Amino acid sequence: MSRNTPQPLESHEPLEPYPPRTANLADILERVLDKGIVIAGDIKIDLLDIELLTIRVRLFISSVDTARKAGIDWWETEPALSSRAARDALHEENQRLRDRLNELESADHSPTRAEEPESA
Amino acid sequence: MSVAASHPLDDTTEFATCAFAVRAAGSEPGPLPSGLRGHPGGGRPRTLTVGDLSVVVQSVPAAAFAGDALADRLQDPAELERCVRAHHGVITAAALSGAVVPLPLATLYLDDDRAMAAVHDRREQLSRLLAELSGRAEWGIKVTSVAGPRPSETTPATGSAEMQPVDGHAYLDRLRGRRQAREERQEAELRAAERVLAVVRRAAVAARRLRPQELPPSGGVRQLLNAALLVDHAAEARLRSAVHVLALDRGIAERATVELTGPWVPYSFARLDEEVPDGVR
Repeated sequence: MSRNTPQPLESHEPLEPYPPRTANLADILERVLDKGIVIAGDIKIDLLDIELLTIRVRLFISSVDTARKAGIDWWETEPALSSRAARDALHEENQRLRDRLNELESADHSPTRAEEPESA
Repeated sequence: MSVAASHPLDDTTEFATCAFAVRAAGSEPGPLPSGLRGHPGGGRPRTLTVGDLSVVVQSVPAAAFAGDALADRLQDPAELERCVRAHHGVITAAALSGAVVPLPLATLYLDDDRAMAAVHDRREQLSRLLAELSGRAEWGIKVTSVAGPRPSETTPATGSAEMQPVDGHAYLDRLRGRRQAREERQEAELRAAERVLAVVRRAAVAARRLRPQELPPSGGVRQLLNAALLVDHAAEARLRSAVHVLALDRGIAERATVELTGPWVPYSFARLDEEVPDGVR
């Protein structure tokens, strides 16, 4: 059995070949956390716990985004969420989402209300 | 086998076997990408052959999963993300060489033999699923309402100025008017979302609704539809053009934006309809 030395942790894998563009965390979470065929393992995670986790993380993501928009850093004082790593990971995720949003908004397949296509 | 199914990992176990995905053994040699790392601190992801099937596994440090260690780690959003992305990374890499049945996060066995036994016990179900998923991918379709001022909801229904005192009836009428306008808008949005689903559904062999995602309330928009589609590789172009046409449709664009994600490993379609009885000895 090979024994690798622990490698530096990263918030996401550099290699994600299959869904190339949209590795949105919420999309991954909802698929990974409550999907997949069950073949009983020797250690089981309570599926109810997983469900709760998913909801918590989703709320966390949207709350941080909301707070950032409002210029509030409330989560820094929230003990459960105060991990520096958590903030960095979310910041990175948000940044990528923002980049993606900009990319989409500059593309032509994202009509806005102000600029509706002339099609009937 | 002498080890009981419920045997916990203990201090004497240095490594456990984490199983990620099952694929057809025939899809070998589809080697896993050399840069693939899986969970931190573990060995390289590798493949075990079980008859016609193979299972992608990784030796992971037992201490990181034993007892409450895993549950504790998953309480930390950053650690949860890391764990989920590591899992997702291995499964998507395994899917590069053919259909896979993804397994749940942290499906752990005491050793390789037990992982292989679990696959062996369910070989028929797994083979059937692999056949169903072969040549197909999952796509996500998300429909989100469009933000913007709603004049009909913000202007007083009675037409009187906000600042002037109004009597009780007028006030209630105004509230009712606003509520009605809001309800009508929401119904129209949902109808638009259902139309989107009906159209993209035609390009798919199966569809499942997912729970709508939480969006920041400050954005003033809500997710109207979150669905997963199982789509033949040959129908991908059809799906994309259907989404494109929908985005240009005035009746929809006024109310909603449509987002397509994918291709995904078919997580949402690799489920059994009923719980698998715990058949592992």
